[in-house]
Amino acid sequence: MNTPIDLKDIERKAFRSTYQDGLWDIYYGLIIVAMSIFVYRPPQGYGPMNIILMVLLFGLAYGFLWAGKKYITLPRMGMVTFGTIRKKKRKTMMIILGIFILFQVALLAATAFGWFNPKANQLLNKFMPNGDASLMIVSLIGSLILGISMVVVFNFSDYPRGYYIALLMSLAVFLMIYLNQPLYPIIIGVLIILPGVVLFTRFLKRYPLDRQERSDE
Amino acid sequence: MSEKPVQPDLSGIADLDRMVHEPARLAVLSLLYVIESADFTFLMNQTGLTWGNLSAHLGKLEEAGYIASEKSFKGKRPNTSLHLTSEGRKAFREYARKMKSLFQGLPD
Repeated sequence: MNTPIDLKDIERKAFRSTYQDGLWDIYYGLIIVAMSIFVYRPPQGYGPMNIILMVLLFGLAYGFLWAGKKYITLPRMGMVTFGTIRKKKRKTMMIILGIFILFQVALLAATAFGWFNPKANQLLNKFMPNGDASLMIVSLIGSLILGISMVVVFNFSDYPRGYYIALLMSLAVFLMIYLNQPLYPIIIGVLIILPGVVLFTRFLKRYPLDRQERSDE
Repeated sequence: MSEKPVQPDLSGIADLDRMVHEPARLAVLSLLYVIESADFTFLMNQTGLTWGNLSAHLGKLEEAGYIASEKSFKGKRPNTSLHLTSEGRKAFREYARKMKSLFQGLPD
């Protein structure tokens, strides 16, 4: 035997193998495309098309992931349930994300309070620069919230490709708020989708459905 | 005065559990040791064994009581999930302990 049996490595590789179909990459890319339409504020105001397109794209992203995992990946890769290490990691991740969500809710509540309360509004205006710089701060906050949340998710998921996705998602959110035009974020979404498509194609070639019969021959 | 013959003590090797020691079964057991359960296809993909080969080894491990299978349906498709029994877990740990002690002091 040339290589030592490293049980942690075996577990890690088995876990990572569940990501090699590229479906999560495509999902995150589609989410960014959906978000760019949701966040875009047209000059004539928010229209029903914003909402319809966003709901359709979110639905498409989730439907694609669900159907892909169920009908394409699982029959080829097989089913696996991971042990206590993963369950603990998942629990810690959920707690951290929960704290993040609470922070976002608090931020939203503070914004709403500042919006509707003239005194708080005045106080906020003293600290916030006007115009472009203010928009940049809001874009940075949005970008950081999403970026850090995604880094947390990918870190606890042992998903090295995820850091690239987190960086691009963060950049996309910054651009979609700051520039208020959906083209650049959509291009970034496509940049996330493309490696996913390559991985997905490779996965289909590597794990054909008729392999089980062939190996019996 | 008769001298005792000087022989290395190799009894540890004979004590090794042959059910675990076979490379393909060791690969299956190592994998099942670190996860909760997996089906046949997942084990085949991870170990690189062929369908027939894996089937034969799983049969032996099940017969020895080291693994157990649970049959269920995922939708309309039958699915057999395999997991390590407590006996299998114990045997794997014992095997690892013996192998470690066997190669203690191995010169480089």
